[in-house]
Amino acid sequence: MSAQQIFDYLTSSILDVVPELNEHEFRKNDSLVNLGVGSMERADIIIMVLEKLRLKIPLAETYGPNNLGELADLLQSKSQIS
Amino acid sequence: MSQLATDTTTPIPITGLGITSAIGQGKDDFARALFEGKSRFEIMRRRGRQIDSDFIGAEIADFECATVKSNSRYRTASFSSQTAISTLAEAWSDAGLDRYDPKRIGLIVGGSNVQQRENMLLQDRYRENPMFVRPTYGFTFMDTDICASCTSVFDIKGIAFTVGGASASGQLAIIEAAEAIRSGRVDICIALGALMDISYWECRGLRSLGAMGSDNFANQPKLACRPFDKDTDGFIYGEACAAVVLESASVCQERGKSSYAHLSGWATHIDGSRTTAPSLEGEISVIKKALLMSGLTPKQIDYVNPHGTGSPIGDRTELEALATCGLDRAYINATKSITGHGLSAAGAVEVLSTCLQMNQSKLHPSLNMADPINTDFNWVGCESKDANLQHSLSLSMGFGGINTAVCLSKAA
Repeated sequence: MSAQQIFDYLTSSILDVVPELNEHEFRKNDSLVNLGVGSMERADIIIMVLEKLRLKIPLAETYGPNNLGELADLLQSKSQIS
Repeated sequence: MSQLATDTTTPIPITGLGITSAIGQGKDDFARALFEGKSRFEIMRRRGRQIDSDFIGAEIADFECATVKSNSRYRTASFSSQTAISTLAEAWSDAGLDRYDPKRIGLIVGGSNVQQRENMLLQDRYRENPMFVRPTYGFTFMDTDICASCTSVFDIKGIAFTVGGASASGQLAIIEAAEAIRSGRVDICIALGALMDISYWECRGLRSLGAMGSDNFANQPKLACRPFDKDTDGFIYGEACAAVVLESASVCQERGKSSYAHLSGWATHIDGSRTTAPSLEGEISVIKKALLMSGLTPKQIDYVNPHGTGSPIGDRTELEALATCGLDRAYINATKSITGHGLSAAGAVEVLSTCLQMNQSKLHPSLNMADPINTDFNWVGCESKDANLQHSLSLSMGFGGINTAVCLSKAA
């Protein structure tokens, strides 16, 4: 799966959890924090993407990326390893 | 607004009501169905209520919580939380609480383990892949999320907690709200009987226990719920949530609010029993204590709203307690014959039902009481009846030996 497909999973999950962002044009340098997404919502969003990818890794392994593009890259590399 | 001196004798006005139930969403719809005796019993269809079964009950149709729709923060609110928010919105508006000091408003939610069906559905969904369970389940599984959702939406900053008293939870919340006002902890306190969202596991357990009614009326669900009738063999479930706003008499006067009724006496009694059996002694105790506190004699009680679930032994015990206390001449009907048994919500639903009847000087009918188990009582039959109700008594009982009673009087 490409990083772009994972980025698309991320944005669709964000919209599921925070539908108020439906007018936002997502970019790879967007960060969840800057989009105003709270920590509880962030956890739900990432778990939703992990479920779509069938990627069984601890949530803690997804910490670190500064923006959605970096997060998509990280998840792509993890999904290739698993 | 400042904290007022503790008031330990004046009755406590009820200044706001809200209800979401199978027979009506909002007190106007609810009252209409109640007085017309329109029930909604059928084979239950909500997801997670049946497995190889045909449990009868009354379910809320076409419910939508406006708050959840407009604010994603509440997207994970359970059905119980959503009905609590909607029900509280009605009671809040009714009592006109928007401009009152939030630190002097409290919320007490009656009910424990009320989100069973949705918790079960979520566990079923993630049983094979528990790693993907939504992190927010870590706090939404707790009943206190109902307090969190409501206090967050309405900016309540006084006290907020849940109380568990099985089927007496709703009335227990009202009693605790009254005590919170009496003790001066808050000026206004909302008691909310939470919607007990049971799954097929609870239905099966309650049925096997002999508490929930059998399949005798599977082909005629509208006849299944029949408190105090000789053909009853258990309660019939009904989804409901009710909110009752209580406030100190001096605050009520200061705000110029009218009231539905005043809470003039209340009592609780614990039997010391880990069974589902009712206790004659416990029921007599709460009736006598509530009357004593209200300064009323049994003859002054115009109307009794009983617990009346349809449990043969429960119904018989309750009537024996009422007769022993000299309350066999007061009017009596059974709200649950129309609404079904809301379990944790029931006590609050029935205090609301009593308030509406006192205000409209009208008693609602009792459904399916074709052959009463005791004809010595002043039953309201299958038709509603006009009656001036100055003083009323409402009773609740819960598994595990919990008995409660409250006296309500019309505002002077």
